[in-house]
Amino acid sequence: MREDKIKKIIVCIGMVFCLTFCLFPFVYMLAVSLSTRADFLSQQVTFKFTLDNFRAVLTDRSLHFLDYLRNSIVVSLLSAFFCVAVASSAAYAITRLKFPGKMYLLFFALAVSMFPQIGLVGYLFKFMTKLGWINTYQGLLFPYTAWILPLSLWILVSYFSQIPRELDKAALVDGCTYWQSLIKVILPVAAPGVLSVFLLSFIFAFNEFMFALMLTTDYKARTVPVGIALFQGLHGQTPWGNIMAASVVTTLPVVILTLIFQRRIISGLTRGAVKG
Amino acid sequence: MAGNRLEKNRDGTNKDIKTACIFILPLLALIFLFILVPVIGTFINSLFQDVSFLDKRFIFLKNFQQLFVDSGFRQALRFTLLFILVSVPLEIVLGTVFALLMNADVPLRGLLRACVLIPWAIPAAISARTWELIYNYSYGLANFIFTELGVTGWPVNWLGTSLGAFGAVVVADVWKTTPFVAIIVLAGLQAVPKELISQAKADGANLLQIFFKINLPLIKPVIIVTLLFRTIDGLRVFDMIYVLTGGGPGGQTTTISHYAYKYFLSGDFGYGSAASVVLFVVAFSLSVIYVKLGRFETGQI
Repeated sequence: MREDKIKKIIVCIGMVFCLTFCLFPFVYMLAVSLSTRADFLSQQVTFKFTLDNFRAVLTDRSLHFLDYLRNSIVVSLLSAFFCVAVASSAAYAITRLKFPGKMYLLFFALAVSMFPQIGLVGYLFKFMTKLGWINTYQGLLFPYTAWILPLSLWILVSYFSQIPRELDKAALVDGCTYWQSLIKVILPVAAPGVLSVFLLSFIFAFNEFMFALMLTTDYKARTVPVGIALFQGLHGQTPWGNIMAASVVTTLPVVILTLIFQRRIISGLTRGAVKG
Repeated sequence: MAGNRLEKNRDGTNKDIKTACIFILPLLALIFLFILVPVIGTFINSLFQDVSFLDKRFIFLKNFQQLFVDSGFRQALRFTLLFILVSVPLEIVLGTVFALLMNADVPLRGLLRACVLIPWAIPAAISARTWELIYNYSYGLANFIFTELGVTGWPVNWLGTSLGAFGAVVVADVWKTTPFVAIIVLAGLQAVPKELISQAKADGANLLQIFFKINLPLIKPVIIVTLLFRTIDGLRVFDMIYVLTGGGPGGQTTTISHYAYKYFLSGDFGYGSAASVVLFVVAFSLSVIYVKLGRFETGQI
């Protein structure tokens, strides 16, 4: 009985610590974005509420924040879509068709997913320059899709291999082609897994930094992480209010997505990462 | 007819292999063109003197010889290794603590899990900017806590001193990656049979005994693999530190990736490639061990 009480107290303290640790930067981010001055914590200054920072990032065209946001959303959505399409066709072959070397393919994908990005970004820059794809959507879309594919493949293989073989065999017996059995049987049954992969791919593409830093030059294709990282004031002073307002606007959808799909994201992550 | 086709498929006929090729082709083509070709290109480039506006010249291993006497590169190497050595163990310990909490039977467990995920889910570049403001010398949150609430009583020059910047980077990275560790360790904890725990409880074991004698041995493989994965990830760390400190003060928080990136940026592709190749080889050797240790469940495929 006493042990249980102690446990409860420890867990409560732990939970408070855990939540504070994870969330305090966001509280601070929000506070600064809503304050007239970023230095409201110093002694002579008091906190004054304002929406000017949000107004600035959402309406001032010269800051290009909305351009960055649009670029990020378009590129990430398309990358996630292509990842799911390409990875699910490959995962179908690996789990449903007999061919030699599929283990090698999977381990090859795993090894690729651990390449350091710097090991390819220099040459990628030259490659994209030759193609004339610097600062374009396709210049980000293809590297992103290729970069995220290995993980998507692993997660989808894990989901697909749990679907009973009889299900799609029955479809094949009924005269479906392989494509039809993938699209009409496997994908609907594995819908939760497909959603996981889509969400993770979207998050990875949305958070990607080094490719975007190297392969974009201005607001025509630059994504939000790079935009916010390079956000500088005109007169030397860092415009913290604007930066934090832009961060809040960018973070909010991701936070909402995470809260809604917490289960799906965790399930995908654990399948894609380690299985000891 | 159809049944016939199926029988053949089971044996892995030529037609089966052909179909498989078509299904896999898009994946291989994308990875080949946009990952493998650039990697091979980087390896080849590392053997050249390849500076913008100058003629490309084959110099074999000269770039690498240069690297090993380059004090900037050695500093980047030293910083990256020290950074891994300090932050990865912290992440594993804290991540395990968070995982134990998330595994406990508490109200609002789902909300707790979602909140823990958030630092991981948002772009590192964006959280790095928030951390940059937190570490601001004159009005940041960190110094507010340190002076007003009396931790030290005086402000700390976080981003301007070597030790301060190191600590700043470690704390920000631990904040960002602990959630990932927690999620993976949680999956390991959930695989521990409940009967074992209740049996131990019936035998009078206390909480610490249950953790160290039952949970820890059973999740050890998960922890080792996570440790290895985080080490590889730490080797290639870039965005969080690049944005938070810009590599400073005086290049003391420049990671290997950042060091190579600086050369790419200035147009010295040969030397930048050589630095990248060193990082690539180290990370790749570790990932071979990772793949071997991972004992990935592929039996059923």
